[in-house]
Amino acid sequence: MKPWSVERRQEVGPLPQILAILLALCGAFAVSAALIAVAGASVSRAAAAAWLGAFGDARAIAETLLQATPILFTGLGVTLAFRARLFNIGAEGQLIAGAMGAVWVCMLVGGGVPPAVLIPLVLLAALVCGGLWGAIPGVLKARYDANEIIVTVMLNFVIFFLLAYLLSGPWRDPASFYNQTPRLPAAARFPELIAETRLHWGFVLALIAAFLVHVFLWRTALGYELRAVGINALAARYKGIRVARVTIVTMAASGAISGLAGAAEVPGLHQRLVLDVSAGFGFTGIIVAMLGRLHPLGVIPAAILFGASVTGTSAMQVAVGVPVAINQAIQAIILIFLLVSDALVRYRIRRIGARG
Amino acid sequence: MADFLEGAFVASVLAGMIRMATPILLAALGELIAERAGVLNLSVEGAMLTGALTGFLVAHGSGSLWLGTLSAVLAGAALGVFVGLLAAQLRVDQILVGLALNLLAVGGTSFAYRLAFKDVGVKNPSTVATFEPLKIPWLSEIPVVGEVLFSQHLLTYAALLLVPATYWFLYRTKSGLELRGIGDSPRAVDMRGVDIARRQVLAVTFGGAMAGLGGAFLTLAASGIFVPEMSAGRGWIAIALVMFGNWRPQWILFGALFFGLIDSVQLSLQAVGVKLAHEFLLALPYLLTIVALVLNRGRSQAPLMLGIPYHREAR
Amino acid sequence: MRSAETLLRVEGITKRFPQALANDGISFALRRGEILCLLGENGAGKSTLAEILCGACRPDAGTIHLDGTPRVFASPKDAIAVGIGMVHQHFALVPTLSAAENVAIGTRSSKTLLDIGPITRRLEELCAQYEIELDLHARISQLSVGEQQWVEILKALHGGIRLLLLDEPTAALTPQEVSKLFANLGKMRDSGLAIICITHKLDEVMDISDRVMVLRSGKVVGLVETAATSREELARLMVGRDVVLRIENRRPPPGAKLLDVTGISVLNDEGRRAVRGVSFAIRRGEILGVAGVSGNGQKELFDAMVGARPAVEGEIRLDGEDLTNRSPAYFAERGMGGIPDDRIHQGLVMDFRVDENLILGRHRHRPFAERSLLRWKMIAGFAHGLIRDYEIVPPSGASVARVLSGGNLQKVVVARELSQTPKCLIVSQPTRGLDVAATEYVHRRLLQERDRGAAILLMSEDLGEIVNLATRIAVLFRGEIVGEMAAQGASIEEIGLLMAGVRR
Repeated sequence: MKPWSVERRQEVGPLPQILAILLALCGAFAVSAALIAVAGASVSRAAAAAWLGAFGDARAIAETLLQATPILFTGLGVTLAFRARLFNIGAEGQLIAGAMGAVWVCMLVGGGVPPAVLIPLVLLAALVCGGLWGAIPGVLKARYDANEIIVTVMLNFVIFFLLAYLLSGPWRDPASFYNQTPRLPAAARFPELIAETRLHWGFVLALIAAFLVHVFLWRTALGYELRAVGINALAARYKGIRVARVTIVTMAASGAISGLAGAAEVPGLHQRLVLDVSAGFGFTGIIVAMLGRLHPLGVIPAAILFGASVTGTSAMQVAVGVPVAINQAIQAIILIFLLVSDALVRYRIRRIGARG
Repeated sequence: MADFLEGAFVASVLAGMIRMATPILLAALGELIAERAGVLNLSVEGAMLTGALTGFLVAHGSGSLWLGTLSAVLAGAALGVFVGLLAAQLRVDQILVGLALNLLAVGGTSFAYRLAFKDVGVKNPSTVATFEPLKIPWLSEIPVVGEVLFSQHLLTYAALLLVPATYWFLYRTKSGLELRGIGDSPRAVDMRGVDIARRQVLAVTFGGAMAGLGGAFLTLAASGIFVPEMSAGRGWIAIALVMFGNWRPQWILFGALFFGLIDSVQLSLQAVGVKLAHEFLLALPYLLTIVALVLNRGRSQAPLMLGIPYHREAR
Repeated sequence: MRSAETLLRVEGITKRFPQALANDGISFALRRGEILCLLGENGAGKSTLAEILCGACRPDAGTIHLDGTPRVFASPKDAIAVGIGMVHQHFALVPTLSAAENVAIGTRSSKTLLDIGPITRRLEELCAQYEIELDLHARISQLSVGEQQWVEILKALHGGIRLLLLDEPTAALTPQEVSKLFANLGKMRDSGLAIICITHKLDEVMDISDRVMVLRSGKVVGLVETAATSREELARLMVGRDVVLRIENRRPPPGAKLLDVTGISVLNDEGRRAVRGVSFAIRRGEILGVAGVSGNGQKELFDAMVGARPAVEGEIRLDGEDLTNRSPAYFAERGMGGIPDDRIHQGLVMDFRVDENLILGRHRHRPFAERSLLRWKMIAGFAHGLIRDYEIVPPSGASVARVLSGGNLQKVVVARELSQTPKCLIVSQPTRGLDVAATEYVHRRLLQERDRGAAILLMSEDLGEIVNLATRIAVLFRGEIVGEMAAQGASIEEIGLLMAGVRR
């Protein structure tokens, strides 16, 4: 008989979970280093450039946090949905919906309105539009048991085409060469957080959102119901929880938070709506939510890490010429390593012969 | 308007239908096998892209389309093996694995493509001479039908033949029976001494290989170029096809043809200058997928344990 | 006819799981043509030993010799190859396939093409031999539980085996089906088959076995000839102390009618009527025991009685109020409590903490929540009290439900339901899978509730439980109530006949 056996743990404590994350990050960085080498660059130079680009000085940090902002929002939206076992892959589309709502309000209201009025309106519009777009798959799931993975992925495409139509037609800036909206009123711009950087109050808003989501999940009755449905919808139903209602509300809330990412990006930052507005933030949000263990407060460092990944790989491209597309690859690799180390950490090796 | 009813127009639309159905049909049939074994493989889109790029790069580098096609299949299969091992051996959450690999493929293919063609401008993408359609002698001369059915690519004929082949495998062979058993009750099949993990890995590998082959069709038969993210959601449509084909090969064929038809009509309408916001037409397949999902509920023949990892010691 | 040849020799089998030492140095020998019953209460390690013998589980230590040759089973394949067949407690059947197809899976065959013919013929032979009538081409999901049991057995017998393992084979059978099974087991034994039968039912052990091996806490505490022992001795060995086999039950006279159910019909998931025109009434301080084999409408009846499934016909009145087709929340509010048969999948949220589970269903009510905000201090205090009263282990509201044993999980469910002092309790299979101590506890609590004045509907497959606890007994067969009688002096035989559908 072999002297050891592999057995499943009953529950995985916090220490093994953190170990899993560290293992994942190490593995991912190792593979990334390999990719960098394949791209023909010096790994040490690339790493140095990346570090400086992400955290080198106040400006770099500000930029990193800025890049983290939309990802933090989408990560929170995904966290909410995944906690209810609703696999919302539509954060991309919900972000676009939020951005469209924000832009529409700006166009409607015009430039004569002070920021104190315009910005709350913009945020409200983003919440509502993102929420509605998120509610659609929620309703379809609740009423028709339509697989939310497929529906949200399909809706991503649909709203992308809608955006393309708007940008090439009704919303197009006639004065511009590209398909984009005209510049939005300056009043809609989010106030800057650190002087002479692009970092704006949207980041703080995202932090507040994380805190609110945390409170919601563990301190409200609806949050309790959401978590219950996510683990065992059958038992929840037997004890009177209205699963359909929870489904729809959760998807709407998830969409609304991702919609805020759209507000942070467009009126908050770039001031124009372009086709590329979401740029993968929705998918990154999923990875960040997993890395944060579906915990609203855990999503914060994860989002910052990914913000650093964006600024870092940007700097890497400039310094050593590695294509910036490596960023997505690295993100996916982190997720894969995390899944694997999660699975490994679920088991432990025990020596046999120990009496007990 | 009279153009529409002309034989040539109809022929070209129907021929286009079958041609455009090819990649999603291949991917969907592959996914069917994986799902019948109980594995929900969501990385089909990624496998398609990986196959598309690999086939393109190898064909471009070696000059051989066949070598390109073979490597596309192998690349897709490799992705499939990876998913299979993670899902069947490590029992990782299948949904997350699929998503992660999709992301990896999207980022990875863009990265690799940019690396490979660093010095080529965007306006002047590299191309590959594509496969020529295989005209079956004499049959392809028949008006209309000849163009539609007998002047397609070899890969298309292969895809169509794959439909009865998967049916035969699933319902007439012992392995197919065991595969169906695994999808519905892996424990029952395990207790009969069948190696569940091995079968699942094989099934998902096949699925990946077919998705890779579908991707090869995109670059080596349909277009001749590679564009990052060119699969444009076809992998996802393939997954949806399995669902509303109710896990039956014949209905999956019907669904693939239907989507092919929409695609083909949309292209033809543009070509003859019909003025419809073309974004609406582009969005149509995705909207219809949702509609079909809603309509098909309640009659699901989904494998009972689809997506649920099998643990022998589960108590 | 017992030969002197030893077929199976097992030595020092040990298996440890994270929660417990399931098998601790188990050794025994089995002869050809012998029936050995493996007796022990739930959790004693019987199923683990069976899993090891059939190749589904690797022991940490110990050896297995078959016909003198040492054997190591890496997977069920190896055990099947040497002629060991296993009939699982929870059937290992693919529900969407037929009996013949289920048997075809895994059989060695050089042909790629599927050929059910020879398998079907062999199965028909076996059916004739054991006088069983079975549709070999129907989907398993369309067969009755008793029929499925037989498919499970035939599947094990099909390849020609030397050792047959049966894990709790009579759990889902009517008394008549049990007799038939035992008669057939006798036939098999007489033809030279060695049989190990796992059970926790003393009567069956005395009926069928040649020898008995008693397990307790993973160890062998007795290995005796059946003829030389008694039920009392076996019970004592099983539990380790003298056990009262019948619980004390003074039945006080019941009060006014509380629950009135008239003519309800309930559809199952496939849209067919699983409950057909059922009527009954339960008075305060009364337990109506509903006997019946699973699959005769119990699940649907339970669901309808707690509001989780609509009744397409009929009425449910509690204390005069019509509750028919109201929501589960409304049922609970009006005083209907429910203890479901599947505590893990229906009763609890396993990844929630114990305190979170204890407020499930009342999480929006005062004092646990104020204006939709949860009040954790109140929840913790409440949980603490229940944990103490019900002696739940580990005694912490913060423990995740997953780490609790079956008995403690059931205590959580019972505590949760009873703490609401329900007017009426619907209980289904409350002691399934529980050891004797936990079973006694649950029974005591149910009687306490009855004495408090609750009306209780008790559905159970365990006739002993029903006869012990109920004031009146009814039998559920194919969705209908087919007989009602007072529990005092009820005849087990009569109940058994009714359970099997024999009408008088």
